Amino acid sequence: MKWLLLASLVVTGPVFMQAAFATDGTTPQSARQWLDSMSGALQALNYDGTFVYLHDNRLEAMRIVHQVSPGGEKERLIALTGSAREVLRDEKVVTCIMPDNKSVMVGQSRPRQPFPDVPEDLDSLSPYYQLRDAGEDRIAGLMTRVIDITPRDKYRYGYRFWIDATNFMLLKFELKDVDGTAIEQVMFTDLKVGERIDPATLEPSLTGEGYNWFRQENSTGDPAVNPVRPEWTVTLLPAGFKMTDSQRRQVRQGGEHAEHMVFTDGLATVSVYVEKVMANETAFTGLSNRGAMNAFGSVLGDYQVTVVGEVPAATVQSVARSVSKR
Amino acid sequence: MKEKLHEQLSALVDNELMDAEQALLFRQLGTDAGLRERLSRYQIISDGLQNHLPPRVDPGFHKGIQAALQDEPALHVELPRFAGLFKPLAGLAVAASVAVVAVLSLQSARNEPASAPAMASAPVVQDYLRADIRPLPASSPQVPQSLDAYLVNHNEYAVNRGMLPYVRLVGHEMNVDAKE
Repeated sequence: MKWLLLASLVVTGPVFMQAAFATDGTTPQSARQWLDSMSGALQALNYDGTFVYLHDNRLEAMRIVHQVSPGGEKERLIALTGSAREVLRDEKVVTCIMPDNKSVMVGQSRPRQPFPDVPEDLDSLSPYYQLRDAGEDRIAGLMTRVIDITPRDKYRYGYRFWIDATNFMLLKFELKDVDGTAIEQVMFTDLKVGERIDPATLEPSLTGEGYNWFRQENSTGDPAVNPVRPEWTVTLLPAGFKMTDSQRRQVRQGGEHAEHMVFTDGLATVSVYVEKVMANETAFTGLSNRGAMNAFGSVLGDYQVTVVGEVPAATVQSVARSVSKR
Repeated sequence: MKEKLHEQLSALVDNELMDAEQALLFRQLGTDAGLRERLSRYQIISDGLQNHLPPRVDPGFHKGIQAALQDEPALHVELPRFAGLFKPLAGLAVAASVAVVAVLSLQSARNEPASAPAMASAPVVQDYLRADIRPLPASSPQVPQSLDAYLVNHNEYAVNRGMLPYVRLVGHEMNVDAKE
């Protein structure tokens, strides 16, 4: 079935435009520098914007507010369509309010890393991705630079960024499969940058009163300082993926301590969770997804193995099937 | 080099950094976690010196968090002391409002040949954006809500962390789980 959706969003206020890129040496000179600048702007600027999120035959609208406060970053993401879910995030905690199932989940936030999290020379990334400056494009009258990251195999996704040439904000983002087909898209339809953020816009619209609250157990610390030797092992990973973290703690309400192993190739991240099957719960088996986030579940004896990641289904599936007890 | 960067950070906080330097500083901020931490410290000092520190914001929501967690001392949420007021960065108080008429067309991969992108029939008005999206196969169900905790936890380990991964959690239709 083919269907069309017209999202007409008219914004008042001044439209900031720059006719051409600066030529005074401040313009990033490479795709890598554009990504670095975007990463810095997303973290250092105040912004308040509305965007659309397209995935799985659906379109949803959301609002994001980001404030650089003296205590660090503070941000809030709100669904404008469907259930009024909200996520609040600062440098210590991330709080997810889910009115559809009357629950609030509080987790530990971790500092942002540069994107991509690889050395300047990109040598470690180049066997698996191609990074390319795809030239200029206009998004709603604003000049942007388009940066492409294309995977070299089918085990990872590609990325396309439209970066504002003036303030380096991300105006549009696509996640693509190895064929270049867009499978997920985020696009701002209204964005105010650099203005003072009204504190009220960073407060949740719901109090969470009467909801079921769950706080995830904190990380056991820096794995370099406090290593957790996994009791489980993963034998099949796409080339370039390395384990960067392992933790053992309670992640789900009512669950026992789960073993969590993190693998990344510098761009994509895969998490492996192994947890005892809860007595009152049907084990999760097979493939499922949330947008471009794929998950695969299997059962090994009394244990539930769950692999999640922003990678193709084939990747989470093959990783999950290679999990075994040491 | 470091001293120069620190001077630029200070100038940024004081609204005195030239635009050209600002662009270069952003690039450094994108790659240097230590520099980002220093920026936060400078902002605290600056606001303190200028007496901009606001009264503590103590919203009911945060009280709710504390009440819910009061039996778990290690889990108390530390309220940001100065939340709520921060001077926009120098030279960045630019209202970059984006006016978009977005014409978004989605098509089912099952029924449309890959070579025939859907075309929007809506009138084209000035700036517009046409997005042809072939969705993921609808064969795999959504991750059960009982596994949301894994998704939240995983998001914080993703390289591309920040709010972007959370769009998948917020953009969620609750009726899907009922089918499982």
